[in-house]
Amino acid sequence: MSHFLLMVVYALLLSVFFAALWRRQRREQIVLFLQLFVGMVGGGLLVAWLMYPFPSGPPAPIP
Amino acid sequence: MSAPVRSEETRPETPAAKAAHAAAEAAATKRGALAAVLAIVFPGLGHLFLGRKGRAALFAVVVLTAAALGAQLDGNLYTPVQGHPLTYLATLGCMGMGLPYFLLLYPLRYAGDITAAGYDYGTAFLLSAGLMNLLLVLDAWDIGSGRKE
Repeated sequence: MSHFLLMVVYALLLSVFFAALWRRQRREQIVLFLQLFVGMVGGGLLVAWLMYPFPSGPPAPIP
Repeated sequence: MSAPVRSEETRPETPAAKAAHAAAEAAATKRGALAAVLAIVFPGLGHLFLGRKGRAALFAVVVLTAAALGAQLDGNLYTPVQGHPLTYLATLGCMGMGLPYFLLLYPLRYAGDITAAGYDYGTAFLLSAGLMNLLLVLDAWDIGSGRKE
């Protein structure tokens, strides 16, 4: 699985979870789900874009 | 001259009403505690006990999917490591998923693989599964004891 897909799956699970936990009305749940999901995926992409000019070096040796 | 009107808060309660109130509170606390214990045993069980079948199923699916994905990705299922205090906290977090943690650890003898490509992601999924279920324990406690709908 790609890094992006894993990030999307993770954001999806957490958004569903918190929307069901924190809200009772269906409409409120959908709004919170979208806010969390877009915030996590969008935030991840934004951080990736900001880090793009600073690529990491070779991976550290595994101890 | 008419008697002064007392508000609901200042009106003295009868001993029978006080006893009934105390008994109802004790029953609610007991129900909340039982729901919390069931929730820590298995994800969603506390909500099922409280009659929230739909939410129980949803929470069980979310937590178990996170745990299964974490195991599939060979993430670290934390166990205490002497000299590393943070592993104790992480272990408590992972143990929050309840029975699935012990099923992975003992019958299945699961051990993450630090060289696996998905190790870090898997660790995040496993830890999140435990932490999500800990929040479910608190939610079940609140619903069972009447503090929350």
